[in-house]
Amino acid sequence: MMGEIPVFFLHGLVYAGLLFLVSSGLTLVFGMMNVLNLAHAAFYMLGAYFSYSVLYFTGNFYLSLLVCPLLLFILGALVERFLLRRVHVFGHVQELLITFGVAYIITESVKWIWGNYPLGVNLSGFLTGSVNLFGLFYPVYRLFMFFCAIFISLVMAVVLYKTRIGIIVRASVDDSEMVNALGVNVPLVFTGVFGFGAALSGFAGVIAGPLLTTYPGMAAEILVDAFVVIVIGGMGSLGGAIVASLMIGELQSFGALLIPKLSLALMYMLMAAVLIIRPSGLFGEEQ
Amino acid sequence: MIKQGSHAYLLAWCIFILIVGVVLPLGARQYQISILTEVIIFALFAVSYNLLLGYAGLLSFGHAMFFGTGAYTVAIVLNHIPGLSFFSAILLSVMVTTITGLAVGCLLLRHKGVPFALLTLAFNALFYAIATKWHSITGGDDGLSIFRPDINIGFAQFSTSGITAFYYITLLTIGLVMLFSWYFTHTAMGQTVLLMRENEERMKFLGYNTNVSRLILFVFTSFLAGLAGTFYTLFFQFTSITAISIDMSTIVVLMVIIGGTGSFVGPIIGACVYIYLQDFLSDITDRWPFIMGLIFIFMILYLPKGLSGLIDSLAERLRGRWHLSDKVEIAE
Repeated sequence: MMGEIPVFFLHGLVYAGLLFLVSSGLTLVFGMMNVLNLAHAAFYMLGAYFSYSVLYFTGNFYLSLLVCPLLLFILGALVERFLLRRVHVFGHVQELLITFGVAYIITESVKWIWGNYPLGVNLSGFLTGSVNLFGLFYPVYRLFMFFCAIFISLVMAVVLYKTRIGIIVRASVDDSEMVNALGVNVPLVFTGVFGFGAALSGFAGVIAGPLLTTYPGMAAEILVDAFVVIVIGGMGSLGGAIVASLMIGELQSFGALLIPKLSLALMYMLMAAVLIIRPSGLFGEEQ
Repeated sequence: MIKQGSHAYLLAWCIFILIVGVVLPLGARQYQISILTEVIIFALFAVSYNLLLGYAGLLSFGHAMFFGTGAYTVAIVLNHIPGLSFFSAILLSVMVTTITGLAVGCLLLRHKGVPFALLTLAFNALFYAIATKWHSITGGDDGLSIFRPDINIGFAQFSTSGITAFYYITLLTIGLVMLFSWYFTHTAMGQTVLLMRENEERMKFLGYNTNVSRLILFVFTSFLAGLAGTFYTLFFQFTSITAISIDMSTIVVLMVIIGGTGSFVGPIIGACVYIYLQDFLSDITDRWPFIMGLIFIFMILYLPKGLSGLIDSLAERLRGRWHLSDKVEIAE
């Protein structure tokens, strides 16, 4: 049992990285537009399926890492521009419902196009091997996933905190009407951020594909986890998303090791505890 | 979303539906009767959902947790308590669901709007996880089978095993409950919820405890959903994890949006259209959920008031034209 602890700790870190990639887009979009994007996990699933197809036709995994997020950026931007914006005037309920409808249609299309069964993504090259980490053999691919997540998070941090676009995005999260009044094209920023969130989610899907199975239920699975992350971390808070992703990742991993029967319930128990003690989440603003 | 002062209109609707419900199965085929039973069960589920969405303005993506709790509880009590009568089983199941609704409501109603929607989804996932993992009680992926007990009212005994017999029991029970919930929306309590949606601050200033009113409504909807779930199990004589899954929550959202959130009968129309459309489309193509999704998006974009809204506006139009012609005659 003791010898397995480092392995499960690393597994937890890897899953936390994946969760952060998905939940960061979700929380950014929520912070800015006040829209909870229920289609977010569907974009994640599409990322995995697109990657499957790119691999099927070209066999190049790195190509799918580039192409799939780009496709999802376009798809996300289109959804924001042509569906979400049209119902914006009707209020949050309609916005939620439209993203719900998009998620439903994407799931059904995936079943239609790729079939309602799990698909395996096979990798080749050095990603399939294991590496010796201080006497511990660990799969290269999981490490690769973790470093991808770290890299993307760093890039996001630099863009958000060091560039002009980042200032506009952060300001819009705070008060989008004021930013609009200052002469920034906020609707365009919304489209961009929504597309960017979809691309992040799609990227997470691409790297998750080879490790977790690619099947039509994968969206619902990660959606609930990502929701729990942003509830615990506080809706709209990126820092909260990092901390909560780590908590949930490790909890899932050690839960599976120590008390496999209750591992699913642990996450909800943590969420319920946070809700009772701090309803707005660990890093959320008090309402 | 809900119009005031249309009592007579609604009552006429209810009576119309009841009469149609009684007359329609006479001479119909067994298959048609079982579809109709399904429509009634889902109509109750949709009505209970619309009390949350249309009346209180609370968007939930986890209403199947109560539907599923009802579905499972009735199966469990019928399997574990020998000799339990038909209505006691229903009563037990509904009581368990109502208590569940109270517990969940206390926790979730601290939130409104988007966080509330998100939490209902998470809680539905929790209920689903429990139903899948607690194999010894719920049967896990295999589900639970039951036998419908006969109804015994002292001097007489009815068999519930026939499709037509069960149809009339369903129609009677759910019809009465539906009338009661229609009545509920017209009590002071029901109206409070409506006014709270419009202006909660004001209701607070007027001395209403809005949190308690909302909790009562939430518990009431969980009771209705639980009853629908109970009948779902009794109807199929089987329950599986579908009853408590997010897919089931999705179905009720689709029904209510297609039917319209603006009136009491909207969800009933929605359930009707959904079940018959599903029946019709699934014969033609396996991809019928995709078509449902397209209809849903179309509704949100172009007909946010749903089919009942469409019927209303068509009726207004016709009425307007008649009035116009009346006026012209008077002028002449």
